[in-house]
Amino acid sequence: MTAAAAVAPRGIVRIRPRLRRREAMLLLIVCAVLGVGGLSLGMTTTDTVTVAGWQLLVIYGGALVAVHLAQSLAGRRTDQVLLPTVGLLGGIGLLLMIRLPQDLVAQDLGSLHLGLAQLQTVWLCLGLAVVGVLAVAVRSDAWLRMYKYTWALAGLTLLVLTFVFGIDEGGARLTLVVGPFSGQPSELLKVILVIFLAGYLAEYRPLLATERTVIGPIRLPPLPYLVPMLAMVALGMGVVIVQRDLGAALLFYIVFLVLLYIATGRTAWVGLGIALGAVASVALYLAFPHVRERVSVWLDPFADPLGAGFQIVQALHAFARGGLFGVGLGAGLPEIAGNLPIPAVHTDFPLAAIGEEMGLAAVLGILALYLVVLERGLRIAAAAADPFRALLAAGLALVVGAQALVIAAGDLRLMPLTGITLPFVSYGGSSILANSLVVGLLLAISDRGIEAPAPPRTRGPVMRALRRGRG
Amino acid sequence: MDPFVLALWAVRLALLALVWLFLFAVARVLMRDVRRAAAEPGAELGRLVVVASPDREPPVGAAFPVDAVTTIGRDLASTVVIADAFASTEHAVITYRGRAWFIEDRGSTNGTYVNGSLVDGVVPLAVGDEIQVGRVRLRLERGRR
Repeated sequence: MTAAAAVAPRGIVRIRPRLRRREAMLLLIVCAVLGVGGLSLGMTTTDTVTVAGWQLLVIYGGALVAVHLAQSLAGRRTDQVLLPTVGLLGGIGLLLMIRLPQDLVAQDLGSLHLGLAQLQTVWLCLGLAVVGVLAVAVRSDAWLRMYKYTWALAGLTLLVLTFVFGIDEGGARLTLVVGPFSGQPSELLKVILVIFLAGYLAEYRPLLATERTVIGPIRLPPLPYLVPMLAMVALGMGVVIVQRDLGAALLFYIVFLVLLYIATGRTAWVGLGIALGAVASVALYLAFPHVRERVSVWLDPFADPLGAGFQIVQALHAFARGGLFGVGLGAGLPEIAGNLPIPAVHTDFPLAAIGEEMGLAAVLGILALYLVVLERGLRIAAAAADPFRALLAAGLALVVGAQALVIAAGDLRLMPLTGITLPFVSYGGSSILANSLVVGLLLAISDRGIEAPAPPRTRGPVMRALRRGRG
Repeated sequence: MDPFVLALWAVRLALLALVWLFLFAVARVLMRDVRRAAAEPGAELGRLVVVASPDREPPVGAAFPVDAVTTIGRDLASTVVIADAFASTEHAVITYRGRAWFIEDRGSTNGTYVNGSLVDGVVPLAVGDEIQVGRVRLRLERGRR
């Protein structure tokens, strides 16, 4: 209890508004990007000086400013770089959605007909609301750390539900439909996975870091604790087999390995994990034709440029047409027989569209923005008060960074393409909401000095056994 | 050249320039953050790293920040809690006076050792020295700044 808390009457939380100058300055640049981007798009498409989709841009900019003001009024000392960075990513994505044909995705709500850009605006605003609420309201992480097995159970339930009730879409069973809503649970699952892993590793970190299993001359990490690791491999493979979701499986596994390394600092774990992952990959390649197809398309998309390799070939051409500075927003993506060159441009290939219309400069900028998110996450982790928060922050940032890496590398044919979204840029409610959850949690744990770290929990059976036999 | 086309060119380049201006502004904020973290006065003076611990409580590799006065012992109120059967409740105390480290035994049953020799009275301590409390051995290291 600090002196201030002792003076204030119980039950009353004192709120002192606090200026967030850096965030305001960065948000100003984001708003300028929105305006200039809309102007560029409007001038290209209409040949007059107009700002395309200015209503949507104003709504989005307003939502960003609202979250900024909410945090300022709540007086929290949360990170000031994350919101503008993510806001810029979302803004570039929104510009792209305004530019794309609006009938790619459409939904009718009563008399309201919403096109691609309008739906994206709705999702982005909902996402920002999630960010704002979490950043302002979450002052304790006990609800995350105490119920980690409950969270894991919820995640598994979600997975099973998708398996049983999910609908197939493009050869992958990813979508769960509940009434009028549909969503991709694997997006939410990745957040739950990070929470569970952070809780588990924070509790067993000392054991994982020091125990050894000795078999003859071989010294291995403690084998009993391999079980969760094997379970993770199994889960990853299960996702691939059941849902044909290669991207999510890869993402889960990367996050798992890196968190394990952060928690224990032992390269042996990582080596073992990579070896297991390689064996699993080969097994999957041999066992499943859809994995084989992905790999063969990656190795040589020009073998079947009008069939399996069509999207990749078109994306490569789009990147090539863009050059250094791009052909200009709204000037690229020539239609082939009335269709977009890349069918899934709004979900899987936004990077290719940006590469064509805004050029290499913008693609590199976007990758740098993801690096900024990662840096912020690791800095929040380094400053965190206890291992759970540190692992949680690192894992959350990693989940965004790794996802961006996996899909960007897929778009650029650096690795087999896996159908996951580019965080905050791609169209998609599940993706935007799940990633907003990540950013909101990161902001919430970045605020130091509000709550002391939770007291250590009662020790588990393993630690008790270690303590026994001593006076 | 058509002024409209020129203006469009300028707008397109301005868009890219703004994205990079944002990144530049972020980089400046990050640099300032790093510098401030480096200059933070609350940086620890030194740290004790556990080298050997038969009961694994504290675990090997654990590091404790060491302040101007650091008490070591089995007592839960100690700065560094050593839950070893051969450690005393109030075992030893490490102090930082002026610019040097000192260690003093607090009348422990099994004694405190620095680099293998028994501590008698107040003994100076150098960075890299190994302290033995009970069966736990700790190494004094420079603090992280």
